[in-house]
Amino acid sequence: MSTFTTPARRGTPPPAARKARGGVLPWLAVPALVLFVAFGVIPLIGVLFLSFTSWDGLGEIQLSGLTSWRAVLGDPNLLHSLWVTLLVMVVSWAVQTPASILLGVFLAGRQRYRAVLAVLYFIPLLLSQAAIAIAYKALLDPNFGLGAGLHIDLLIQDWLGEPILAFSVVIFVVSWQFIPFHSLIYQGGVRQIPQSLYEAAEIDGAGRVRKFFSITLPQLKYTIITSSTLMVVGSLTFFDLIFVLTAGGPADATRVLALDMYKRGFQASQMGPASAIAVILVLVGLALALLLRRLGGRDANASQMEGA
Amino acid sequence: MSLTQTTGIKRAETLESEPHGHRRKRRRRPGSDGPNWLGGAVSWLWLAIVIVPIYWIVITSFKAQSSYYATNPLLPPTEPTLANYQMVVESDFPLYFVNSLIVTVGAVIPAVAVSFMAAYAIVRGGGRRFLRGVNSLFLMGLAIPLQATIIPVFLIIIRLHLYDSLLGLILPSIAFAIPLSVLILANFIRDVPKELFESMRLDGAGEVATLLRLALPLTMPAVVTVTIYNALTIWNGFLLPLVLTQSPDKRTLPLALWSFQGQYSVNVPAVLASVVLTSLPILAMYIIGRRQLLSGLTAGFSK
Amino acid sequence: MGIPLGAALAACGTSGPTPAGGGASSGGTANNKATYWFLSVQPQEGVRTRAVERFNKANPNGQIAFTALQNDAYKTKIKTSIGAGQAPTIIWGWGGGTLRTYVQAGQVEDLTPWFEQNPAVKDRLFASSFGAATIDGKIYAMPAETMQPIVLYYNKKVFDQVGVKPPESWADIMALVPKFNAAGIAPFSLGGQSRWTNMMWLEFLFDRIGGPEVFQAVFDAKKDAWSNPAALDALTKLQELVKANGFIKGFSSITADSNADQALLYTGKAAMMLHGGWTYGSMKTDGGDFVSGGHLGYMNFPPVDGGKGDPSNTVGNPGQYLSISSKATPEQKEIAKKFFATAVLNDEDVKEWAGTGAVPIVNGADSAFATSEDADFLKFVYGIASNAKTFAQSWDQALSPAAAEVLLDNIAKLFQLSITPQEFVTNMNAVIGS
Repeated sequence: MSTFTTPARRGTPPPAARKARGGVLPWLAVPALVLFVAFGVIPLIGVLFLSFTSWDGLGEIQLSGLTSWRAVLGDPNLLHSLWVTLLVMVVSWAVQTPASILLGVFLAGRQRYRAVLAVLYFIPLLLSQAAIAIAYKALLDPNFGLGAGLHIDLLIQDWLGEPILAFSVVIFVVSWQFIPFHSLIYQGGVRQIPQSLYEAAEIDGAGRVRKFFSITLPQLKYTIITSSTLMVVGSLTFFDLIFVLTAGGPADATRVLALDMYKRGFQASQMGPASAIAVILVLVGLALALLLRRLGGRDANASQMEGA
Repeated sequence: MSLTQTTGIKRAETLESEPHGHRRKRRRRPGSDGPNWLGGAVSWLWLAIVIVPIYWIVITSFKAQSSYYATNPLLPPTEPTLANYQMVVESDFPLYFVNSLIVTVGAVIPAVAVSFMAAYAIVRGGGRRFLRGVNSLFLMGLAIPLQATIIPVFLIIIRLHLYDSLLGLILPSIAFAIPLSVLILANFIRDVPKELFESMRLDGAGEVATLLRLALPLTMPAVVTVTIYNALTIWNGFLLPLVLTQSPDKRTLPLALWSFQGQYSVNVPAVLASVVLTSLPILAMYIIGRRQLLSGLTAGFSK
Repeated sequence: MGIPLGAALAACGTSGPTPAGGGASSGGTANNKATYWFLSVQPQEGVRTRAVERFNKANPNGQIAFTALQNDAYKTKIKTSIGAGQAPTIIWGWGGGTLRTYVQAGQVEDLTPWFEQNPAVKDRLFASSFGAATIDGKIYAMPAETMQPIVLYYNKKVFDQVGVKPPESWADIMALVPKFNAAGIAPFSLGGQSRWTNMMWLEFLFDRIGGPEVFQAVFDAKKDAWSNPAALDALTKLQELVKANGFIKGFSSITADSNADQALLYTGKAAMMLHGGWTYGSMKTDGGDFVSGGHLGYMNFPPVDGGKGDPSNTVGNPGQYLSISSKATPEQKEIAKKFFATAVLNDEDVKEWAGTGAVPIVNGADSAFATSEDADFLKFVYGIASNAKTFAQSWDQALSPAAAEVLLDNIAKLFQLSITPQEFVTNMNAVIGS
């Protein structure tokens, strides 16, 4: 490709050279496009196709019309998984958002120890979800874990064996890992709020609480949308953590859609119904993304990307 | 990490230019009402929540299995032992480490390279229908939980005869990393003043030369951030190795960790030693690159 | 898409650096090496390993490379790899419904002609062990290793400490539960996250209350087979045990793969455990002097008062099964057959298996027991197996993987008390024959 550059070095490029050079641009996008099409777009179409087939993962793939869809949609387990997914999404959002805003506002202060705090907070985000799940599994074990070792009855619960407790543990571990990340986003957001707004409010005699609710929070609107989008769409993908921590259990108490898909596909050898669930997962993701973008009141991506 | 699946809603305001410039003006920040007790209490409480489990993991990994049940779990071991670590190392963890390293490096470098090229093309040739189409495709990729495509990915990898090979992990990892990388890199390339591109053009530089000599150096911080971020995601990846590999000698660290705990879950200190050991490389990277990562991520996501 | 596009991509892929790289894993690099996967967990893993090592020593030109995997991971991985066309040459399994899916997909060799040519190999083995290897009249697997009935184990020390006697009936079990709980000891250990561990309870309760016909009807895909009143009774009794805190706290987050459930028994945190015969060997290895010191008690599952089932019946694995992948090369298949004929359950192997405290499925194996330090347990297992009117195969192995998954899922919910026995019956009736 460097041949394009050499002849044009001297002075203003002749029209022909400009044309040739312009021809390079689309080619630059091709490698990314090919890779993404091969392992992103084709699988996406493929998953739709597979949802109309029956395949046990062993033999031939055969078209089977709507059989898989009927099997999945007629199965009460699907509704349950959808419900668990939704619950994880909503509850983890409701726990993480206030905590992240609070921490973010605090971290936005310039004191040095707060920067140190931010560095420490961030550690859980670096660890793999498999590692985190394994550590918590050991920590919470009712017979061999931390509670049993300390002989504190309150801590000796069947943490992963009771549906509500197990669900709470999942939410807690998710928050443990991701709150720091969202605090960081809010920290960035808070630092962008013009100081003049606060000064004006102080002249009006506003206290901290009022300033928080009448200035900080409204000014953080777009940050909240960004952070919420990440949380909500991200919550669809809590596979590793739940797979290792509870394997969807006890029974099906924490079996989210992604896990349901994996179990049906790779454990029960029903790739057709599993693909149907995957399609549902994709649709839920797209719908949520669109909804949140609508909430944002503007098409942030498109305007930014195209307005360049 | 779930962060790969984002719709990438961004803010028009720029942030990365801001941090230090306003320091003086900002001294009176919201703190002017006296100390923020609530925020302070929450932040110290959160520190405890973060640190206590980590502390427990670390000290327990140095305890002998026999003394583990007998001693106070929150006190450091009286006779620290490295036996657990030795056991983990002898369970082929060095091999898994190398596998993880191959997959991560093998995926991140091409992913960032092709993403950068695509981002450059999209920004510089944004008017063309082809590039607009490519851009929309990547944006769509952001909204879709790519895990949902694991079954066809599995099928394709089989048909490519790449099942149970590290290359079979690398290719989908690259693809999954592209959308977000392109988005973030495009945002930064867009911030490069138009006049600079124009003057490169007047000097007769081609697009490839402009990319290498202008865009790349000016957006280096973003490239580093995207690299670190992707490396983290791929290093910690679990689902792809779980589905696309089978033999123990193709395991990456997270998968090895899972198998190890399945086998030795009764031996809590050994399991925790494996957790510590597999996390050390990332922590080391974090200590070196933390400033870059923290500021880069903030900028990338709140942009 | 899928097939055509995948194939198109495959065309590009072959020019890549590692074409067909997969088989490389365990020595597939050269076609003269056969591959063999089996379950890890000692002491069985050691016996399997040594059998391969002996074979490799004796056959320097036709070697076997082996890989040991954990139970739950193995069940998923073996299916995935067979589907990916990268099955090991020798496929270890439990026969039954899973083997049937391999057969239907044309993935395993028909061994009937080979057994006809080698009657000596066939005649040495228990005739009853061939049932789960036979699909539609043809034999697709070589029965191997040991018979593994499910046994009720108990910790004698704990029984003495609480001052109670081993149960002789279901009523005894229910009476023991509050006594152990009062002493701060869990009545039963259970690795409930593995789910098939829970299933063993239902297998026995169904059998003791209604006899083997109850599940046989399910297996034969009779409509509404689960609605049998005996089934409902068994499910209700099981939930009564759960409600009485019969199982250790946290059982649903304990996995059997790590032998954590056994550790609870030999450390005295639990008094009893219903588990496969193979756990005798692992408790002997891991449990200190628990087994050698005579602290481990064992019995067949006791009768349920008023039940129809014969108390001599047992359930479990009538053997383990070795199939040959139809995708293997002719050389690999030859090596595998030679392994079957000369190494599987040869005299040395039989001795090794007996040494783990299990009964090899070889006629006259009991003569080897007398000198064994585990003679008592071996005779006990041999007695169970030879006296049992019915040796039922584990449900999840007898059924197809799809049906087994629904079954295990519902069993987990039943143990969690999140569904009633009636709901269990309704859910399971809906998938009969699938």
